[in-house]
Amino acid sequence: MAEIVFAAGIPHAPAVVGLFEKAPDEARAVVAATFGAVARAMAAARPDVLLVFGNDHLTNSRISAYPDFIIGLADRHAGPHEWFKEWIGCRDWALPGDPEVARALFKGLTKRGFRLNAEAGPLKFDDNLSVPTVMTELDSTGIRVVPVLQNCTVPPFPDERRCYALGQAVAACIAEDMPAGLRVGLLGSGGLSHEPGGARYFKIDEAFDQHFLKLASQPDHAAFLREITIPRMEQAGLGGTAEVLSWFIVMGAIGERCGESFGYTGWPSFRCGIGGVVWDLTKEAA
Amino acid sequence: MSWETYDPSLAAHDLVQDLKWDPALRAQFKQNEAAVLDRYPTMRAEERRAIEQRDFRALYDLGMHPYLGGQLSRFIWGNDAGHGAVEASKRLVASLTGAPLEQP
Repeated sequence: MAEIVFAAGIPHAPAVVGLFEKAPDEARAVVAATFGAVARAMAAARPDVLLVFGNDHLTNSRISAYPDFIIGLADRHAGPHEWFKEWIGCRDWALPGDPEVARALFKGLTKRGFRLNAEAGPLKFDDNLSVPTVMTELDSTGIRVVPVLQNCTVPPFPDERRCYALGQAVAACIAEDMPAGLRVGLLGSGGLSHEPGGARYFKIDEAFDQHFLKLASQPDHAAFLREITIPRMEQAGLGGTAEVLSWFIVMGAIGERCGESFGYTGWPSFRCGIGGVVWDLTKEAA
Repeated sequence: MSWETYDPSLAAHDLVQDLKWDPALRAQFKQNEAAVLDRYPTMRAEERRAIEQRDFRALYDLGMHPYLGGQLSRFIWGNDAGHGAVEASKRLVASLTGAPLEQP
């Protein structure tokens, strides 16, 4: 029986990399505190493998044949994809993959009723994995990574309850299908409120973001699932805010836990609300 | 905004994907946009006109996915984090809202 030893949720807004130096002090402080805390918690937990759930920004597939989930089976993942490099303004990076864990996840989720695609070749990575990697220096840790790209922007897409249920199935896979002693980390990459490409591109819904962070940090998932719905996400920013569905997968996997967040900024030029949560796994789930 | 008008069959979606995946096509788009648009025979006249006139309101009303609309704006006005992408975002919002260029 493998064990979940780390869980966090963070945004991957590219501007936290590319516009970091131009941001006001208070916004920079939130970004540094959030990604710094995630990096420290991850290092302390010593995961062997990190499952990263994050949306694909229409980077790997045409809209006419868009998968809901893609598991990366490769033994190495690298990015950012060429066109996203100047958009993010980040360096190149490479991470070791874990084909064995990726295949176990693919097989285990399939048998538990979830249809996913699996890609043996190189996936194209955009903000989803690039921003967390460079902001936490994940590529210096040696932690193996299994990326799971999800659709949260091409309708219809799996809703909050389906993503939460997927997370519960991920936990079952880890507990029942993966080798004893394997230490697994979970990272949800996406959100908070934003409307990429929309009329409200520079608008951030701070009320939604603050409420979301508060609920995500509390061990009451009934309230979380009742209040953080797809319509409310879309109201807070069409086509972007639903990236927080990656957090639902992580929360479904770990159960009701307390979490800690590290401040919030809605600096408009980030074009996205910024805040994160690291969940405390040292106490049993409620 | 809503998904009410979204039309996944729009040829402009394939245009954006091809530009994203093919640097040579991107270069050609800059030099001879008409020749690139000619490659999409299913692109409707009003869709093509909206692209040529940088009329994102019209393009979205025809069914453009906003995320791909945002990416199209970056092919046109700039993609670099520090300047071009910000400019592209402002011009996109101005086109969608009819308001003067927005200052973030």
